[in-house]
Amino acid sequence: MTGPSAVADAFEFVGLVRRFGEVVALDDVSFSVAAGEMVGFVGPNGAGKTTAMRIALGLLQADAGAVRWRGRAVDAETRRRFGYMPEERGLYPKMRVLDQLVYLARLHGLEPGDARSQAERMTELLGVGDRARDRAESLSLGNQQRVQLAAALVHRPEVLILDEPFSGLDPVGVDVLSAILRRQADDGAPVVFSSHQLELVERLCESVVMIDRGRIVASGRIADLRARDTRRLVRVEVAGASDGWLERVAGTRVLEPLPDGAIVELDGASESDVLDAARAAGSVRHFSVVRPSLPEIFRREVAR
Amino acid sequence: MSARRLWPIVARREFVERARDRGFQVSTAITVLLLVGVIVISAVFNRPTSFDLVVVGEGSDALGQQVRAAADALGIEVSVHELADEAEARQAVDAGDADAAVVEAGRIVVRAEPPDQLVGLIQAVSVRERSRQALIGAGLSSEQVDAALAQSPLPVDALEPVNAESRETATVAFVGVLLLYGQLFAYGYWVAAGVVEEKSSRVVEVLLATLRPSHLLRGKILGIGLLGLAQLLLLALVGLFASSAVGTLEFPSGAIATVGLVLVWFVLGFFFYATMFAVAGSIVTRQEDLQTTMTPLTILIVGSFFIGLSATSNPDSTLAVVASLLPFSSPLVMPTRIALGDAATWEVVASIAISVAATAALIPLATKIYSRALLRPGRVRIRQVLRAGGA
Repeated sequence: MTGPSAVADAFEFVGLVRRFGEVVALDDVSFSVAAGEMVGFVGPNGAGKTTAMRIALGLLQADAGAVRWRGRAVDAETRRRFGYMPEERGLYPKMRVLDQLVYLARLHGLEPGDARSQAERMTELLGVGDRARDRAESLSLGNQQRVQLAAALVHRPEVLILDEPFSGLDPVGVDVLSAILRRQADDGAPVVFSSHQLELVERLCESVVMIDRGRIVASGRIADLRARDTRRLVRVEVAGASDGWLERVAGTRVLEPLPDGAIVELDGASESDVLDAARAAGSVRHFSVVRPSLPEIFRREVAR
Repeated sequence: MSARRLWPIVARREFVERARDRGFQVSTAITVLLLVGVIVISAVFNRPTSFDLVVVGEGSDALGQQVRAAADALGIEVSVHELADEAEARQAVDAGDADAAVVEAGRIVVRAEPPDQLVGLIQAVSVRERSRQALIGAGLSSEQVDAALAQSPLPVDALEPVNAESRETATVAFVGVLLLYGQLFAYGYWVAAGVVEEKSSRVVEVLLATLRPSHLLRGKILGIGLLGLAQLLLLALVGLFASSAVGTLEFPSGAIATVGLVLVWFVLGFFFYATMFAVAGSIVTRQEDLQTTMTPLTILIVGSFFIGLSATSNPDSTLAVVASLLPFSSPLVMPTRIALGDAATWEVVASIAISVAATAALIPLATKIYSRALLRPGRVRIRQVLRAGGA
């Protein structure tokens, strides 16, 4: 993650503004993704993630600001070398899987022979090679999702922009997709994806961009964000405690309720105050001091 | 590859995917069969009259030959076969090998319902022959008798002489209007349904990330239009071939010219209607809602179709003349008026010019609505889309 200043091999959002009537969907959104970097784009529903991505793909016009790749404002010609997976998945229901991939590859500028071999390669890579001659509508949702990803990758994109690529995937699918995105980044593509699965983002990405109500509220390396967060947190789980015992401990705030406990921010109280209260409340199953991770940072940044 | 070469890829997909569709192949096959069936059946009903006549016994053959000569003068074909005896003759009639038998120049044998024309001819010839013999028997010379009997038939004065060629052209034009109506409707609907399919399946967002809406629209209309033209050409060739094979086509050059007119006006009409069908598709997200937005177009096409049908019998009515100039009805009216030789050159030129101009004016507007409506969910109001800024 780097600042919005021009970096030769980076994909940049520079000062994007977009309004829908009275609503300001994007308010001076700037961040950049270096080549080879994988960035998680997180934020609550309606924060502006999809709008920003659609502007990057030319599906929407920005009221102000620019999108740059390798230092140049992107045009239609450049965008055809991007790979995009929209949040609303879309395939031709009655078209055969392989045919649609060949078609999309052709639209992205591949020659017919290359388009066909790439389409075949991607179906194999994503484990849907045996369904390549079937109509898309006959595939399970999970397999359709794989085809959707193949559609985003079939033309060897220079830049990958994926809107909620992990939603709806089973754990195996998540692993397959993670490995593929990692490889795309390792091959030198900037990869941006939006997600609500913060643990996943934390595991996959080195950097993250947080957006809320159209404004970037935090961005940078996840390690730096965590280091900057000086809150003292404890995780405590108690069996057999009556409800609400934690709320009665002075100088604490519950950040994330858990079954039989919570992650608690210490605001005046000490670790041993919480432990004492836990002991008094019931049988302590777990007590640990934790460092703030992405979900806690997210909750702090988008607190309403 | 530059962006302006993307629409042929879209057009190719539209053409190939639809041509490959089983429903399309079946319906095309059914249409071809229907067309051939209609041509063959009409040929059977219109075939020139011909009869087989068997003759037995003395004088019968001479009578048969006179019948044949008399029939020839009326354009009816009669073949005469002489058989050995009455039993054989009755058998031939009973088996349907002969339409009638003349026995001993004195009796006519038929199977059930007598073939009126043939029996009438035999009766007339026989009466004349017997009158001749009776007059000779009464003392007149055979020259006198022949002179008296050789009377020319009464002249027939038709108030509306039938021109066989224009009648045939009118028939071809009628079939042409029928086909044009079917093609404009079916392929226009396909454009609309294709737009809705892309919208409802949301594949349009993937597509628009690679190409401009105007190129998507252009490719779609051209691909589907080309398929419609190819199908029309196939039907025309099958129709021409089948009707000349069964011998109903007496004036092939006129028919080919009419077919050519139908093809030209399909192109003109299709582009005009397809742009509007695309708009009708772009402002809805569900196929069920499409019927509603297509209704104005449906009314236009059906109305023009009826005017087109009436023009095949009445090509110079004021309604037909006006309709042949208006862009939405000219495809279904003008080909008929030209084929029947009723349209002035300036009318043809004006009709084409108006059609092209109207389509040219419509395309930017349609593209604008289409582009802005594509990524909007639900039922989109055209006025609202036009008022709003860029997507």
